[in-house]
Amino acid sequence: MSAQDTVLVVGAGPAGLSAAATIASMGKKAVVVEKEDVLGGAPIISGYAKLVPSGEWAKDAIGRMVSRVEGDGNVTIHKSSKVSKLEGEAGNFTATLSNGDKVEAGSIVLGTGFTHFDSINKPEWGFGTYEDVLTTSQMEQMVGTGQIRCPSDGRVPERVAILLCVGSRDRQIGREWCSKICCTVSTNLAMEIKEISPSTDVFIYYMDIRTFGLYEDKFYWKSQEEFKTKFVKARIAEVTKSPDGRLLVKGEDTLVKRPIVIPMDIVVHAIGMDPNALNPEIAKTFGIGLEKHGFIDRAEQYTNSQGTTRKGIYVCGAATGPEDIDTSIAQGQSAGSRAVADLFGLQKVAS
Amino acid sequence: MAIHEKTLIDPDRILQHDHLVVDGVDVSGSWNTMITPRTLTDYEENFEKIIQSYSGGENVHRCWQCGSCTNSCTMYAQNVDFNPRYWIYLIRLGLKAELLKDKDIIWQCVSCNKCTNICPKDVRPEGVMKATAHWLEDNGLTPKTLSTHFDEEFTHQCIEFGRIEDTEVMMGFFKRSNQPLVQAWIVEFGKRLSKGLPLGQLAKMGMNVVFRPKTKSWGKTGEVLAEYVKAQKEAAHHG
Repeated sequence: MSAQDTVLVVGAGPAGLSAAATIASMGKKAVVVEKEDVLGGAPIISGYAKLVPSGEWAKDAIGRMVSRVEGDGNVTIHKSSKVSKLEGEAGNFTATLSNGDKVEAGSIVLGTGFTHFDSINKPEWGFGTYEDVLTTSQMEQMVGTGQIRCPSDGRVPERVAILLCVGSRDRQIGREWCSKICCTVSTNLAMEIKEISPSTDVFIYYMDIRTFGLYEDKFYWKSQEEFKTKFVKARIAEVTKSPDGRLLVKGEDTLVKRPIVIPMDIVVHAIGMDPNALNPEIAKTFGIGLEKHGFIDRAEQYTNSQGTTRKGIYVCGAATGPEDIDTSIAQGQSAGSRAVADLFGLQKVAS
Repeated sequence: MAIHEKTLIDPDRILQHDHLVVDGVDVSGSWNTMITPRTLTDYEENFEKIIQSYSGGENVHRCWQCGSCTNSCTMYAQNVDFNPRYWIYLIRLGLKAELLKDKDIIWQCVSCNKCTNICPKDVRPEGVMKATAHWLEDNGLTPKTLSTHFDEEFTHQCIEFGRIEDTEVMMGFFKRSNQPLVQAWIVEFGKRLSKGLPLGQLAKMGMNVVFRPKTKSWGKTGEVLAEYVKAQKEAAHHG
């Protein structure tokens, strides 16, 4: 296995898995390095329920991506390991892994993903204070169990409130980006909740609804029209508890121009996507730049879309900014192809 | 907090005291005007369904509050309190008390249908205005319209007698809508009618008023009919 035949893929989420499969399908070797002990990335580790827009369960859909690379002779996988050192340059990188192995690779694809926003950073919305305040990931896990119950006492909730833009579009906490997919995920989650628990009413508190592209009617309209999700244009100021144990969402209903104090049984934070918490370390190890929000910076928009600021290193998926799974997969293919093209270029020079 | 829009303060929320001491400080005089908070504390979740049960209100749940209806509204151009977008929002969330503050102008919709033509989600706001006006009327929240008075008299006679009698319908309608039975145009109408001395016709009219003809074998049909209409109405609006 020589450097000219090999692409190092860092991260085994949808983007990395897609890149690895692409590289292998073009007859080159992919060495996948994943820091967790399971493959599949956020959808698997955080236990997502049904994916947008396919409606397929995450463990089935992403599971298929995992078994595709696991069963491929051109793919080598290192779990529970990271790249701790990178030497060389484009065409001739040598990566030292945390497990001591050394990998020689002609080019590198980073699919290092994102970190979910930690709702603890918005204490006024009750996460960590009240048991019945959850994140979208936790609510997806609950949907996965097939039952919707208040964590505090197991009762079926009469009302669930989903608060959008938790950790997104918020200067107060330095998150000046839209996390792109939470609106669609939340409208979908509202439908899943209603499906499992028809007596539960779901309210979505929003500033804007950004169910982009074809997600408009399939998720937003369907959730509103068929599943009776109520949309309230209000940024919630705080979540407190009423004496009877229910939660109270307080804020201003901007369309009525009135303050509101509404009882809820479960409050869900539609958490956004932060840059991977390890990005400063990743940037240092790989010698690449980060853009102003802390995501991995790209070389050039139009002719080298998946390139990082360093030659021979490519990036795909939510490592570059909030991204949906479908686009991450497409970017994985794109980055994988580009990385393989580099290998072919090297061979041309060599022969 | 500064008051941005005085129109938002309902008179019943303005509290004035001749003498008032707050935290030991005497705030008597012009400083003691207080405005109670206008916090909303709950939703009446069934309200949207009730409006949907009235003809025209079926699509109200589709609204996403873009405001196209209000922007295009003929009445809004006359009076900015006439705001279909706002009312639809209140209906959807069940903020009934807020809606009732505008109960006396909702009926003013002129059915120009500009809103319905422009609505991107096919909510049919004109229908919603109609449905809301009917709901208000049905629940005695607004005075009955003249056409409702007429309908009620007409229906009453059909159920009672199996047929209507023109003069009775007119008199009943005037009574129900508090109009004088003797009106200039009726007097004129009577005068002209009597000009050619149509004795047979006048005698027939007189007999009808005195004897109130009923459809043959009407029996309990009227009661059954009334029962059925009542049941249908309840099933439609409260089911």
